[in-house]
Amino acid sequence: MQKTVLHEEHIKLGAKMVEFSGWEMPVLYTSIIEEHNATRNRAGVFDICHMGEFIVRGEKAASLLSSLIPTDINRLEPSKAMYSCLVNETGGTVDDLFIYMRGADDYYLVVNASRRETDFAWITDHAPSSGVEIVDVSDETAKIDLQGPKSREIMETLFPDAGMDRLKRFYSLTAELDGVALMISQTGYTGELGYELYAPGSFAASLWNRLFDAGRPLGLVPVGLGARDTLRLEAGYSLYGHELSETISPVEAGLGWLVSSTDDYVGKDILTAQKKKGPPREIVCLKMIDKGIPRDGYPVARDGAEIGIITSGGFSPTFEVGIALALVTRKAVSVGDRVDVMMRGKPKAAEVVPRPVYAYNG
Amino acid sequence: MSDIPKDLKYTEEHEWVRMEGSVGVCGITDYAQEMLTDIVYVELPEVDIEIGQGEQVAVVESVKAVSDVYAPLSGTIVEINEELEDSPEMVNDDPYGEGWIFKIEVENDDELEELMDAEEYAAFIESMEEDE
Repeated sequence: MQKTVLHEEHIKLGAKMVEFSGWEMPVLYTSIIEEHNATRNRAGVFDICHMGEFIVRGEKAASLLSSLIPTDINRLEPSKAMYSCLVNETGGTVDDLFIYMRGADDYYLVVNASRRETDFAWITDHAPSSGVEIVDVSDETAKIDLQGPKSREIMETLFPDAGMDRLKRFYSLTAELDGVALMISQTGYTGELGYELYAPGSFAASLWNRLFDAGRPLGLVPVGLGARDTLRLEAGYSLYGHELSETISPVEAGLGWLVSSTDDYVGKDILTAQKKKGPPREIVCLKMIDKGIPRDGYPVARDGAEIGIITSGGFSPTFEVGIALALVTRKAVSVGDRVDVMMRGKPKAAEVVPRPVYAYNG
Repeated sequence: MSDIPKDLKYTEEHEWVRMEGSVGVCGITDYAQEMLTDIVYVELPEVDIEIGQGEQVAVVESVKAVSDVYAPLSGTIVEINEELEDSPEMVNDDPYGEGWIFKIEVENDDELEELMDAEEYAAFIESMEEDE
């Protein structure tokens, strides 16, 4: 297993370590529920160094990206970031990602750890022979997420002259700490106000500790991948390999709003047809009525007939009930309908609810 | 170091049993609840069912995992801890006390001999951790 540059810090904090996409990562430090609630009420800091980062730059950078994503690249301007996805020829998803525009002809892509090599190959295979440079900077880049209602205050303490109070959601800036330049965006995966910080790997441990120095008095805690998952599930965010995959299209995943480009891109015909006529399946959000926790892979039924499967399920610490996202036949259910989640052969009642169960709180 | 009371018997699946006459009070060990962390749901057995030693009898669910609980001894379920329906976290807070899961009327005392005592269970956990 690979270790991030923050590995020692997790050991020092007594984290329970697990394997995730080939990396040894902290699943929790104290308790998933405690870390989840701390992030919702105060602030949490996350080691996200395992994710991948690519630079895509040159005069053909924009056109290359535009040929691979369904989202209008002109939505970006320097210092702005947007969520999108790489689509394959059958309309399935290669990966979901964030694209930052750092400047003219200069883009920075942040991709899932599990898809890093695949994404790099996908982008380079589709690239023209000149006019664009694609560099995988993942190995040198540390990513640390700071999320929660107290996060802005912590950032203002650490970066008093950077204009944190003026940094809007989905925008980024460069700030210096101890002489080291960091890229910081107001983005995140928890549904709270928060920031993602990108630093040279060599500075990661210092940055982690400086965040704690500034944040501990405000109740900042370290948060593992266990709570990262419960937080994003409440916030209704997709996770690649669950709500998105090579055989699940972004339209099926509820991301039809990403399909906005008038340019030609891989999978365009399929995605535009799905948007027009409706996709064959759709992701719905469920909240348990009966006791029991819905889990990935559990079947979902309505009136005795199987309509789909749980793609992500678990316990919601905020609402103290089982919640899930499920991929079901389109129009099989509407919000308000009751379904059965099959748990070890027994049907347990759940309600179809609007997604997300936890609205963005930033 | 997890707590391992001396008066109990233990299984390799991390269940404990305390005999009260011919009735065995059963639950999962401190080691097990530490591994699971936040327990959020317990699926209890039905009362009056007959169960064999080593058969799956209950389910304990944490935030991240589903964990089967097996009967340490054969017998009939005579009581279940319904408090766990509303307070599953008692299994974390007091695994040997308020966090008991079910009580089983035991037919065959011999099966008790097959279980580990506190010392053996402590050694068992240690050897598991060394293997990791």
